[in-house]
Amino acid sequence: MALAALMRGPTCPQREDRTLESGIEMEAFLREVETRAYRIALVNIRDADDALDIVQDAMMRLVRRYADRPSEEWRPLFYRILKNRIRDWQRRRVVRGKILRFFAGQEGEEYDPVAQAPGPAADNPADALARSDAMDALERALAELPRRQREAFMLRNFEGMDVAGTAKAMGCSQGSVKTHHSRAVRRLRDLLGEHI
Amino acid sequence: MSTESRKGDSEFEERAKQLFDESVDRLDARTRSKLTQARYRALEQLTAPAGSVWRRPWAPAGAAAAALTVLLVLWLDAPERTVNGTFDMAATSDLELLLAEEELEMIQELEFYAWLEEQVELGDAQGVEDGVG
Repeated sequence: MALAALMRGPTCPQREDRTLESGIEMEAFLREVETRAYRIALVNIRDADDALDIVQDAMMRLVRRYADRPSEEWRPLFYRILKNRIRDWQRRRVVRGKILRFFAGQEGEEYDPVAQAPGPAADNPADALARSDAMDALERALAELPRRQREAFMLRNFEGMDVAGTAKAMGCSQGSVKTHHSRAVRRLRDLLGEHI
Repeated sequence: MSTESRKGDSEFEERAKQLFDESVDRLDARTRSKLTQARYRALEQLTAPAGSVWRRPWAPAGAAAAALTVLLVLWLDAPERTVNGTFDMAATSDLELLLAEEELEMIQELEFYAWLEEQVELGDAQGVEDGVG
């Protein structure tokens, strides 16, 4: 569908060749990352539909803004966009709640992602493991990490990015990535013990 | 850090990666289909002419009204966040966030969202009255 459109696209032959080549390469890249990106978004926001929207938005922004950049830059750029979209989603939820409350003319508690997380019993990774599977326990433990530690762990271990790529995606130094990552591993091991 | 601890970390990381990979493999067909559609929508931009909410003729007026509305709401909702009548960084950050393209449309449909929320609450209240919970 989209590749067919690419073939019909620009009229200049050279530009057409470049667009087609870039389109094929970008298609392969997105196909490779989309399912993992979705799972990473889902672990962070725990809403399947919103996770899909965020991944789609990240893909659209990558294509719109960075399709002409070298393909080796796409992965860190994509995950940087994804990370920012997840953070924006979390902040937007707070602001949106404020505006809706104002127009509905009612008092209410501000949305608090921590308060919205599963209760204390569910938060105990060892208990979660007993009730569910190991991935559930890992997700719950990840939810307890500070955001930067979680990002470092997910990009390094789930997406398999190296330290340099992770630093680009997170917008920080390689030293910071190493620190966040080692603290994340230590904390996760503390939380999960020998259960996974 | 001891060799044993490093080995433990390494094994833990391998196991976490394995769990994640398995969870990706278990994704259902509906989700995979939606991701494929999302990919095609993204790729269509390679040939589609650049479009933007700002190209709509009514956008500037709508944006100005939306910005004023948001400013008013944030100011009324969080007076403690202002110093001498000016917004602090957190408030302006909220404003930037809300004035992103996709948020403009939401702001311009605030009455609908407020109505929707009221309906949900009425439904909840009715559910309680009916013993539905």
